[in-house]
Amino acid sequence: MRFEPNDSQATFAGVLGQMLAAPQAGFQAVPDWGRFDYGDRLDRQLAENGFFDAATEDDLGPVAAALMVHNVARAAVCVECAASALVRPFLGREVPRPLAVVVDDAPGAIRYLPQARGLVSITADAVHYADLPEGAVTRVDSLYAYPMGTVDRAALDWQRLDADPARLRALWQVAVAAELAGLLGAGTEAVIEHVSQRHQFGQPLGAFQGIQHRLATAAVEIDGARLQALRAAQSGGIGDAAAALGYAQGIATRIGYDLHQFMGAMGMTLEHPLHRWTYRARLLRADMGGSAASYLAYADARWGAA
Amino acid sequence: MDFTWTEEDAAYRARIRAFLERELPDTWPDIARHGPGSAEQTAFSLDFCPKLAEAGLLIPHWPEEWGGAARPAWEHFILGEELWRAGEPRGAQYMNVNWIGPVLMKYGSPEQKARYLPEMAQGRAIWCQGFSEPNAGSDLASLRTRAVRDGADYVINGQKIWTSYAALAGTCFLLAQTGDAGGGRSGIAIFLVPMDTPGIEVRAIPSLIGHGDIHEVFFTDVRVPASARVGEEGEGWAIISYGLANERVGIPRYEMASHELDRMVAELKARGQFGDSVVRSRAAAAGAACEAARLQVYRVVDGRARNLAPGSDSNLARVAVVTAEHAVTDFGMDFLPDCFSGTDHPSFLSHHERAIVTGIAAGAAEIQLNLVARRHLNLPKGA
Ligand SMILES: Cc1cc2nc3c(=O)[nH]c(=O)nc-3n(C[C@H](O)[C@H](O)[C@H](O)COP(=O)(O)OP(=O)(O)OC[C@H]3O[C@@H](n4cnc5c(N)ncnc54)[C@H](O)[C@@H]3O)c2cc1C
Repeated sequence: MRFEPNDSQATFAGVLGQMLAAPQAGFQAVPDWGRFDYGDRLDRQLAENGFFDAATEDDLGPVAAALMVHNVARAAVCVECAASALVRPFLGREVPRPLAVVVDDAPGAIRYLPQARGLVSITADAVHYADLPEGAVTRVDSLYAYPMGTVDRAALDWQRLDADPARLRALWQVAVAAELAGLLGAGTEAVIEHVSQRHQFGQPLGAFQGIQHRLATAAVEIDGARLQALRAAQSGGIGDAAAALGYAQGIATRIGYDLHQFMGAMGMTLEHPLHRWTYRARLLRADMGGSAASYLAYADARWGAA
Repeated sequence: MDFTWTEEDAAYRARIRAFLERELPDTWPDIARHGPGSAEQTAFSLDFCPKLAEAGLLIPHWPEEWGGAARPAWEHFILGEELWRAGEPRGAQYMNVNWIGPVLMKYGSPEQKARYLPEMAQGRAIWCQGFSEPNAGSDLASLRTRAVRDGADYVINGQKIWTSYAALAGTCFLLAQTGDAGGGRSGIAIFLVPMDTPGIEVRAIPSLIGHGDIHEVFFTDVRVPASARVGEEGEGWAIISYGLANERVGIPRYEMASHELDRMVAELKARGQFGDSVVRSRAAAAGAACEAARLQVYRVVDGRARNLAPGSDSNLARVAVVTAEHAVTDFGMDFLPDCFSGTDHPSFLSHHERAIVTGIAAGAAEIQLNLVARRHLNLPKGA
C-alpha cells in the first residue's frame, strides 16, 4: 500500500501539469457561444510526447494513465483522452486516435466522434473496431460540452479484436470514473474561487457554513471517487472498476446541482467556464446505464449471482 | 502508487485471522453483544489481551524498549482492522495501545512510564479518557474542571461526561485547567488519575448504544500528587493534539461496516432474496461507500508510515467513514428488517446499535466538515 507516486509517475504528472497550466488549456469563450473548446494544441502535445502510451509503460502503468485522464478532465478545454489513455493501448492492435467508444450499442450521439478517427464497440461478448471514414460522422449540437456526433454504425467496416471484453469494459469504466472525478473536482475549485471572492451580507459567500459544509462534503466524495478510480486502474479488478464508476456517478448529480447553486446566475452564462465541467459530468453520470447499473456490475463481481 | 498489499502484509493479516479463529470462543458474539464498554467484554479483554501480548499481537508497533517489536505502522493498522472486524476483543484496551501508551512514551515521566506502560503491554490495564464536560463538547478547550496546586499535590474539582469505560477503568487520562477558570487551551494540563482515588464518583448514563459505554464522572476534592501530571502545566493541549494525531483516523469502522455488509448479503442469499436488482444495487452502493472510506483512511496511514505531518486527510477520512457506516446500516434495516427488530442476530444488532455514534463520538462530523472547509478547501472565515 503506497499512495506516493514513483519517480517516473511523479515526473509524468509534473510535465503534464505544466502542459495543463499553459494558456492554451485554459478557458476562452468560443465564437458563437459554442459549449466546448476542443484543445487541439494540448491534444497534439500529449500525443507527440507519448503521453497516451503511459498505460503500457512498466514504471507508469494504468494508474498513471488514469491520473492523466483525471487531470486532463480538469482543463477548461476538452481533449479526447480517456479512450486513448486507457482503452487504445489494450486493443491488441494499433488503431489511430482520437478514438471514440460505444458500450452495449447504446443509441444516440457519441462523444468525440467528430474528432475521432476510429470507433471501438464494447459489448458483453466482443470488442470491435471500425475506422471512421471521412464524412461518415454527423455533428450533433449537444448541451453537454463535448463534441458529439452520430454515425451510421451499420455502414462501418467492423473488425473483431482479440481483446477481452470484460477487461476493456473495466478499463473504460475506470476511464469514465477518473474523468468524472476530475470534472467534479475542477468544477468545485471554480466554485470555491467564486464564493471566496463574492461578498453578500457583508462577508464572502464561502464563509457561510451552509455553503462550506456542502462543498466540504462534495470534496470528501470527489476524493473518494478519485482514489477508487486510481485503485481500480492499478488493481485491474472488475469489481473495483464498477465500484469506482458507480460511486462517481452516484455523487455527480447532487454535486453538479450544488456547484451551479453556489455560482448563482453567473453559472448560467457561457462566459463562465463552470458549464464546461458540470455539463460534461452530466453526460458521464448517465454513461453505461448510470450509477445503478454500475453498481449492479459491482454486486456481480463482489458477491456473485443471487 | 500501489494499492495492493505486500505478501508480508497479507500473511500478517492471515496470521491474525487464524489467531482469532482459534482464540475467540463460540460464545463471542454474545459476549460482544453489548459493546467494548460492557462488563462482559471488559472481563473478556483482561483474559484475551494477555494472550495477544504473548503472541506479539498487542503492541507490535511499540518500541522494543517497552515490549514492542517496532513493527511498521501498517502492521499496527492491519491489526486494528482485524480486531475491530471481529468485534474488538481488546475492549477498551485499544485506546492504550493506539495512543495513551505512545503519549506516555513521549511525554510521561520515567516514573509514569514504569508504572503504566508494562501493564498496558501485558494487556491488563483499562483506561478512560476524561475530556468532555457538560459545557465542553465540540468546543473542548472551554473545559472547566480545575486542578489547583496545593503543596506537593493538586486538588481536582469538576465534572466529566460521556466518559467511556469509566466504571471499569483503573486510570483516567484527565484534562483539567490549572490556570484561571475559562483559561482555554493555554491553561490545560493532563493528569493520570487512579479511579479509586477518594472523591471520584462514577454514574453510568443509560444509553442507546450498549452497556457501560458512557458515564458521568464527578471529581470532588480529588487529591493527586504533582507527579501525576503529564508534561508541564499548559502543555496539555499540545500533548493531546499529538496523541490524537497519532490516532488520526480512529476506529476502522468502514472495515466493520464492510464485514457486516458481507454478512447481510450472505443472509439475503440464504433467504433467496439477493436476486432483486434494487437490493443488489443498494448493497453495492453501501460497499462502494466503504471502499471510498477505506482508501481515504489508508492514505492517512500511508502518511503516518512515511512520517508526513498530519494534514486535512484525516478530516476527509472521518467524514467518509460516517457516510459508509450509515449506508450499511440503512441497507440492513431496509432489506433485513427482522434481523434488527428481534434478538436472533446479535452481531447485526450490536453493529447497528453503535453505528449511530459514528458521527459524534471522538468529534462531531460537522467539526470535521468545518476543518475540511478551512484546511482542505481554504474557504474564508466569516466576518
Ligand atoms: C459513545 C460516545 C462515547 C464517548 N466517549 C467519550 C470519552 O470516552 N471521553 C470523552 O471525553 N468524551 C467522549 N465522548 C464525547 C464526544 O467526544 C462528544 O460527544 C463530542 O465531542 C461532541 O460533543 P457534544 O456531544 O457535547 O456535542 P456538542 O458540542 O454540543 O455539539 C452537538 C452537535 O452540534 C453540532 N456542532 C457543534 N459544534 C459545531 C460547529 N462548530 N459547527 C457546526 N456544527 C456544530 C454537531 O452536529 C454536534 O454533533 C463520547 C461520545 C459518545 C457519543
